[in-house]
This record gives sequence, C-alpha cells and structure tokens, in this order.
Amino acid sequence: MNETLPISITRKGVNLLKFLRPVLGAIILLFIVYRLSQVLFVQHTYGPETWTRLIIAGLIIGSVYALIAIGYTLVYGILFMINFAHGEVMMLGAYTCFFVFEAFKNIKVGTDPVLTFSNAYPVVSIIIAFILGMSVSALTGYLLEKIAYRPLRKAPRLVPLISAIGASIFLQNAAQLLFSPQLRDVANPEILARGAGWKILINGSSVTIPYTGVFTFLLSLLLLVSLYIVVQKTKFGRAMRAVALDKKTASLMGIDVDRTISLTFLISGALAGAAGVMWGIHNSMVYYYTGFIPGIKAFTAAVLGGIGNLPGAMLGGLFLGIIESVGPAALGIDFQLKDVVAFLLLIVVLTFRPSGLLGEVLAEEKV
Amino acid sequence: MKATKFVVALIIMSVLFTACNAAPAAAVPNSTAETTAAPASETTSPSSGAAAGSPDVCSTDAYGCAVFKPGEVVKIGMGAPMTGGDASYGIDISQGGTLAVQDAGEFEGFKFVLVVEDDGGTAEGGAAVANKFASDPAFVAVAGHIYSGATSAAMPIYEKAGIVMLSPSASLPTLTTLGSAVFNRIVFTDARQGPPAADYLFNKLNVRKLAVLHDGSDYGKGLAEAVSAKFVELGGEVVITEAITKGETDYTPVLSAVSSKNPEAVYFGGYTAEGAVVVNQMQQTGLENTIFFGDDGTYGADFLSRTGANGEGAFATIAPIPADSPEKAAFDAAYLEQFGKEAGTLSPYTWNGYDSVAGLIVAIKSVAVVGNDGNLYVPRGALVSAVRSLTDFHGISGTYTCDAVGECNTLPPTFVVVKDGAWVPAP
Repeated sequence: MNETLPISITRKGVNLLKFLRPVLGAIILLFIVYRLSQVLFVQHTYGPETWTRLIIAGLIIGSVYALIAIGYTLVYGILFMINFAHGEVMMLGAYTCFFVFEAFKNIKVGTDPVLTFSNAYPVVSIIIAFILGMSVSALTGYLLEKIAYRPLRKAPRLVPLISAIGASIFLQNAAQLLFSPQLRDVANPEILARGAGWKILINGSSVTIPYTGVFTFLLSLLLLVSLYIVVQKTKFGRAMRAVALDKKTASLMGIDVDRTISLTFLISGALAGAAGVMWGIHNSMVYYYTGFIPGIKAFTAAVLGGIGNLPGAMLGGLFLGIIESVGPAALGIDFQLKDVVAFLLLIVVLTFRPSGLLGEVLAEEKV
Repeated sequence: MKATKFVVALIIMSVLFTACNAAPAAAVPNSTAETTAAPASETTSPSSGAAAGSPDVCSTDAYGCAVFKPGEVVKIGMGAPMTGGDASYGIDISQGGTLAVQDAGEFEGFKFVLVVEDDGGTAEGGAAVANKFASDPAFVAVAGHIYSGATSAAMPIYEKAGIVMLSPSASLPTLTTLGSAVFNRIVFTDARQGPPAADYLFNKLNVRKLAVLHDGSDYGKGLAEAVSAKFVELGGEVVITEAITKGETDYTPVLSAVSSKNPEAVYFGGYTAEGAVVVNQMQQTGLENTIFFGDDGTYGADFLSRTGANGEGAFATIAPIPADSPEKAAFDAAYLEQFGKEAGTLSPYTWNGYDSVAGLIVAIKSVAVVGNDGNLYVPRGALVSAVRSLTDFHGISGTYTCDAVGECNTLPPTFVVVKDGAWVPAP
C-alpha cells in the first residue's frame, strides 16, 4: 500500500508507525473500557429507559447513514473514487420530499375545508414522495457521473476527487440560489406525524418509539436487502461485480462498462434520494446544507465497514449511528463530543482492522 | 508571451488592490493632507477630508469627516442574519430600521439610507460585513450588529474606521466591558436577562431541579451560565448542564440524558432553530411534562410554527415590549401596511431596530454641518461621542440614556409564554 502513495516514508518511519499504531489503539481502547465500566457499574448514571432511548435514536439515524453509505461503497467499488457530492444528491431528495408534501398539503379534497390530499391519501402521498425523490436523486447521480466524472475516467486518481468536491459545492450553491437558504419544514401526513409514536413505560418513564423512526428503519432495511439481492442474484449485479473486479476483462467478456457505471450511479443516487426523503419525514428541517454532514458521516460509515463492501456499509452505518448516540453517555462525557467519540472509534477500528470491519484485503489495483 | 501576460496581470491586480486599500485609508484620522488630492472623478462615494469649504471641526476631529456632496446619501449600515434558520431576526429588525429612515426625512437636503448586509449571525460574517462597511467612506454609523458573536468580531474594525455602533439586539454582557469607544446598545443585556429568568423559575414556577442546555455560542453559553449561577444562589439545584451542537436536527440523545435526571424545567440558552427542535423532541424523551424556558433568541413566530402544539406552555424572556403610545401605534400600523405582518411577531426587536436607527440619525443630525461649499460634513469622532452621550432619547421602546460604557437601556425583561398558539405575557 505504501508503494503507491505519493508521499515517501522512510523505512524507519514505517517501522515506528507499525509499532506505535497498536499501542495507540490499545491506549484508546483501555480508556474506553475504563470509562464504560465507570459509567455502567460504578456511577450508574443512566437507567434502562435512557439506554433504550439512546439506542432507538442511534438505530434510526444509523439506518439513514447506511443508505447513504451504500452509495459511497457502490461507487468506490466500481470506480475507486470517493463521490463527495453524494451528500448533495441526498439533499436534493430531501428537497423533493419537502416540495411534494407542500404541494399535497395545499390540495383540498372534497368539500371538507381542512382535509388535504396528504391526509386523505397518506399512503399515496408518501409513495409519490419516495418515487419522485428517488427519481430526482437518481437523475442527479446519473448526470453527475456523465458531466463531472466520465470525462476524467482516464485522469489520475486525484482529479475526479477534486471534480467531486467541485460538484458538491456547485450543487449546494445551486440549491441555495434555487430554493432560498431558509430552513424548510416538511409537512408530514398525519399518520406519520413527527414526534408521535408508540409509548412504552420503562422504569416509570415513557419511552417513545416514533412512527417516523420505525418507518425509516424498516424501509431502509428493505431497500438494503433488495439491493443486496440485486447485486448478488441478477445479471446486472453480476455485471457490476465483474466491472468492479476488472474493467478491461469485463469489457472483453461483453459487458457494457459505461452502461454499468451509469446504472451504478442511478442506483446509488436513488438510495440517497430515499435517504433524503426519510430525512425530510423524520427530521423535517431541510436546507441546502442538509446533505453535507450526513454525507461525511456516511462516508465514515462506509470506511468503517470496509469501503467497497455492501454489508460492511450497512453495518458501518448502523454502528456509527449507535456509537454517536450511545457513545457520549457510555463514556460519561459531554454530548457535544459525539463526533469525537465516533471518529475515535474509527481510529481504533482502523488500527486493528485497516480495511474496515468487513473489508477484505484489496487487490493492488484498488488500493 | 505567457510570462508577459502574467506580469501585466500582476501589475493590474496590484494597482487594483492598492486602490482598494486607499479608500478606507482616507477615513483614517489626520489623513486630511493626503485626501485633499482625492480624485475628482469620484462622484458616487464621498471622499473624506478637508476640501475648500470644510468646517474647522474636521481638522480637529480624531477620525476626520465624512464628506457628502449634494445629492449623495448618508449611509447607515446594519449587519444582520438575513438568511438561514435565524433570518427572521435580521429581516424584522432591518424592517424596523427602514421605517426609522423613512420617518427621519432629510437633513439639509441630504437623505439617509439603511444598508443591510447579511452576516449570517456568525463571527466570520460579522467581520466580513464590517470590512465592507469600513471600506466605504459614506458609512458613518452602524445599527448593529444583531447577534453578539458577529458584533464582537465587527467591533475592532469599526473602532479603527471611526464608525459608531448602536446595536438593537446584541446582548452579550461582556461586549461593553471591552473598552470599545464606538460600541453602544439599546438592548437589555443577558446579565439582566439571565438572573431574572432564574428568579422567575425559582420563585414563580417553583422549580427546584433545573436542567440547563445551551448551544455553545457566546450568547447561549453566557446566558446559561448566568442562569445557573443565580439559580444555585437562590437554593435550587442544577441537575445537568449540557451543550448541543448548533445546526443539527436530532437532539434526542442529549435530551435522553437530561430526562434521566428528572428535571422540573429545562432552561435553553440559544436560538429558535435549535430551540424548536429541542421542544419537539422533548415530547419523545420523557420530558413532555417538563417546562421549557427559553430566552429572547427563542421568541418569535418561527418558534410557534415549528413547534405547533408542542410549544404550548414554553416560556421566554424578551426585551420589554413597549408600552402603548401614539408612536408605537403609528409604527405598528406602518409596519403592518408595509410588510404585511403584525409588528413583533417575527422577533421582539423590531421596535429596537427602529429606535437604534432613529437614535443614530438624531446623533448624526446633531453633529453634521453643511460647509460653505454646499457639502455635508459629518465629523466621525464627534458622532462617536454624540451617540455615547445620548440623553433622554425618546424611542418607541422607552427613553434611552447611554452610560459611560455604552449601555443605553436598563429595563428588566418581560416574561412571555405560549398560550393557544400565541406568545402572551406570562402571569
């Protein structure tokens, strides 16, 4: 791996790094275990109701991260580049969700003055929101590849990366100019009212399992499983895996490489769009910067799970979501430091498993 | 060829940059000698310094004079968040200020104008806007900035340029302790907002266990600390203090931790964007019966529309709502007519916005002189001291007298609560 890096590291430096890495990892790990035991067994800071709440929050946000992370992993697997504009693709999905629900909110049904389309036909509205959101994002992903990445396919590895960052900034600013920089609140249909949910009593305190959260979680699991089946069982999936392994050989075997890459971007865009619509439904607040942080987090999740590996991205997403939400409480530190906890864990994981949780050792070409 | 082009481009750019630097330099104290040679072609923006008809005061003034040729307008700046989650504050306050400019009319044939620039409410934005204003010699005063963070970044820049400030809403207590000569404000400070809030929680609402949340900003954190200190002093217990990250949409983890301490009330120091999320998610984290107590940053129509039924019963402390007076009625009517909204629904500061611009114009009128060449001369140093010594100025929100450090308002806050989807004075 070191041979391909443009920065030369002296032999001595490499040895020192090799020696230091596990030591550093072990120190961080020991610290985590120490704090964990303090909070759990000595101080008894939080009761079971708090832990349940934290895990629920983590699973919901984790499932959104997983959906976005899949996009990073798919594209990386096939082109070996990080599509940094992926978060913005998700943002456009969230905006579509906002516009669809806003439109349906303003369509009146029948003579009832308060009954709107989104409340009269909630399932239809939600399905339309998802179809439109996924299509807009899929189209964005497709065009992104055509315009920003395809002309650079033969260029050195860093060039498409810069192009991706440029595309990301372009999309953010375009959204700011087109949709104004104001925060938008997504108007959910009543059956998915934000904040409503099943209440269970734990330790005398009511814990809410929000409908929007359960919906988000189940739908993203469904999408992830169906994607996995597509990749593993269908002809297109086989083509995709072949292109990921070796583009040249795949084209010799009669696979249309360009078409496969375009389709990959379509799929990853559609998944990001679904994540965007879920984000809109669950978190409501949509603006031009919505996609940036989830995009970065999902990228982290993809690396955590082993970039290029589909189940790895799913696992990484859920793992990151839970760590982010449970981590600060478990370590007994300030909640503002949740990102510190998440990235600390990333360091620990990469120290002991440099290719991620489920990552295999990559072929030389992919590194 | 390429090298020549590059050199030419370099020369052009360096000339341009020097020209840019020369403009603000004209406002530097005692630079009158150089600036008499200011190019005659400059008609859109006035040049500073002693021209032929310049009055004596300009040569003795610490910052020199801003000169306006007939037909030019006297610019008053305002740096405000006009976009993003807290935009309602900037929009509302600048609309109040706009009305003040309309009411002020002309001075010896010279018009006033309020120029609003978006600083996003951030320190970086505040400094950028301040540099922009300072580089245009037509700016003599700034009604702002709106947020404390932006204000504290902008202060040194205005201090250097001799531009006086009168903020309608920057309430961080330490702003007036920094020794700035140009900074003044007509808002009540967080030092007067925090302790009364703690007192209200303890004595009126009988809260004994308080959770304190803040958004980590200068304003929110300062307020949270002031409330904590006073609440503990009164004999209450602060069960948990947590900071949240600005701009996020999921605060359920931190609220779960708050919930585990069973507080009777949550005090939140911060702004509407995060405050509304906190209120909504308190419903999901076992805090549905806990009182939410906000500050003047969580007041406004945006809070109501974002929280809906969840916001019912939320408290806030705001700048004193002005007592009914003919001036207020006239302002409210003009505001409704021009902007299509009731005054005070977007933010509690629209009257302050009016007052601060009106106060600045009064001060400008008191020091400005028309030279015998027909130009208007505004001595910057004299203007700075005129605002600082503003006495018994009658605004809509009250009567202002600025003290030695620039605090012009000493009224206690008003407490408000959400009832049936509207902000009403709390009992």
